[in-house]
Amino acid sequence: MAAEFLFSQFLSGLTTAIFLFLVASGLSLVFGVLRVLNFAHGTFYMLGAYLAWQTMAWLAPTKEGFWLAALAAATGIAILGFVVERLMFRHLYGKEELYQLLFTYALVLILGDAAKILWGTGQLSVSRPPSVEGSLSVFGALLPGYNLFVMVLGFAIAIGFWVILQRTSAGRMIRAAAMDREMLGSLGANVGVLYTGVFVVSSFLAGLSGALVSPIKAIVPGMDVEIIVEAFIVVVIGGLGSFWGTFLGALIYGQVLSFGILIFPRFSIFSVFALMAVILIVRPWGLLGRPLK
Amino acid sequence: MRRRTLLASAAASAAILPGRARAANEIKIGMPMALSGPGALYGQPITKGAEMCVAEINAAGGLLGRKLILLPRDSKGNADESVRVSRELILKDNVDFIVGSFTSAESPAVSTIAKENKVLMVAPTAKTIQLTSPANLHPYIFRTASTTDIEGRTAATLMAKWDVKRVATIAPDYAYGRDIMEAFSVLLKKLKPGVEIVDQQWPKLGQADFAPFITAQMSKQPDAVFGAVFAGDFASLVKQAKPLGYFDKIGNRYIGAGETGSIEMTRSLGTDYPVGIVANTYDPVIWPDAPEVHKKFTAAIKTHLKDDYGSSWAIMGYAGVQALAAGIKKAATIDADKVSKAMIGLTFETPIGPQIIRGKDQSANRGQFWGKLVRTAAHPFPVFEKVEYTDPTPFMD
Repeated sequence: MAAEFLFSQFLSGLTTAIFLFLVASGLSLVFGVLRVLNFAHGTFYMLGAYLAWQTMAWLAPTKEGFWLAALAAATGIAILGFVVERLMFRHLYGKEELYQLLFTYALVLILGDAAKILWGTGQLSVSRPPSVEGSLSVFGALLPGYNLFVMVLGFAIAIGFWVILQRTSAGRMIRAAAMDREMLGSLGANVGVLYTGVFVVSSFLAGLSGALVSPIKAIVPGMDVEIIVEAFIVVVIGGLGSFWGTFLGALIYGQVLSFGILIFPRFSIFSVFALMAVILIVRPWGLLGRPLK
Repeated sequence: MRRRTLLASAAASAAILPGRARAANEIKIGMPMALSGPGALYGQPITKGAEMCVAEINAAGGLLGRKLILLPRDSKGNADESVRVSRELILKDNVDFIVGSFTSAESPAVSTIAKENKVLMVAPTAKTIQLTSPANLHPYIFRTASTTDIEGRTAATLMAKWDVKRVATIAPDYAYGRDIMEAFSVLLKKLKPGVEIVDQQWPKLGQADFAPFITAQMSKQPDAVFGAVFAGDFASLVKQAKPLGYFDKIGNRYIGAGETGSIEMTRSLGTDYPVGIVANTYDPVIWPDAPEVHKKFTAAIKTHLKDDYGSSWAIMGYAGVQALAAGIKKAATIDADKVSKAMIGLTFETPIGPQIIRGKDQSANRGQFWGKLVRTAAHPFPVFEKVEYTDPTPFMD
């Protein structure tokens, strides 16, 4: 097979990976720090897509308004995250996992139904902004401008995150909280504020990634459950709570999916689940995760 | 909705305690249909179409001197839920007939319930050929939808007219997708022996990320593609395929089954729609050469739906009830066995003209409208350049 086709398949996998990383990073961050597996993360993503559509419909008749709409959607979801954390989530910390699971699942159902009431059950569509409408040719493979933009953004977010985690005092606190929150609290740090902050950032990322997929995927009810399963596979492969693990997990997921489809089209998504199963058996805490004590 | 169902079933169970008493002056039709979830986009107008037909029949004095009553229930487009509500409709609400269930996953399951309870059922939209295959056929199942055989084979004849050698396919990985591709491939190879199926992609139903499927397919360098990816999945496919040059590479030689040419789809995608492809629909809605009966239907359904353009799906609910009503009228009774006998070979009126239910597979000869989608100045979304109804008769055996 010609090299440009392989490269084009690689680019498809990379596109998949970066979109997934944007979603999964927030899921992983909340688990790492708050120790809550937030199933509603996918719902925040879906609401981000709906909000982007809504903002486009209200404020910005020009298609270039998409950028503003994406930012507005992410901010809207961040505010929703703030309210949810302040009013509800904080009662869950340290509770049994079963309660956390039931609670976040309830959020999935409630917010999912709310979205149906507000936006109906039909599919909605947002067009790509004209500034990134075209495609460029890279080594004979076509790369849509919009995908390139999201890739650059994804890498920038990954590096930005790493810098914040490693080089700032907030980052140090987040890392400390992930390791031992009681100790951090007893040293006088305001753990409550830290948790709220982390949850808001995670919600922002969910809302942003939802808004960013809206020009390339149909906005439909059920996209929340679809994405949470994929994001979950990514963090399981990479290691729950591990930042670079999530990044690596997303990259591997994208390529395994992409080349799985190329090589065994009859079993399109089997390869990804097979990979997850192998990792769960061989290294249950994920590639870069730490075994739970 | 749920509470109403609960109350209704509670009331019904109280009422039926002494036995399955039926009101002599009404005919009850149960309608399990996707009223929530992704399928609701179609389930809602299908139900509205059935509702309108029932209202028209009642306004004209009912059937056999009785009033028709339609009882829609939300199947969520899911087989388990469909079976549950159908059973409830039969056992608690005492329905005399069923018109419904939406998908090819639901209807075969509901068909077994119909058979068990000897309640006659009309499937208005399920296309899988398995529903009425000899092994699954029984006196209580009738179909007014098209079938995967009709749809796949029509696409094969359209494809055979093109000067192509390397054909690829993409379809959702379940009954509908598998059956339609089987029908398509077999006939295409017969019509055009030199053609080669170079690639077949099977994304799952509900797939949102299509890029890897698209590039994998492009790597096999097809000249043309037959796709059965539908609804929201088709929208995602198109949005990702267009900038990857997928439609340009094949010169827009894409034939889209699964009602991807419906007005719901073209309106939703607007400028993102890949004009130049050939796609199908149950009802073109915007149809310059429409017969009078269709024009009347379209005007009525627009009012009923409170929508400026109407719907391409309402006709399926409407015609489903028309077929059943014609059967009851011919049998002059609501006895399921007698209505079943009357429906075999029955000719019934629909907004696109009369249709016949064959005895062999108890299915109506329902074809679809196919055509190339183009942009015009008259509408803000693509419309058919020239739409043609394809007679399904040659494709049914």
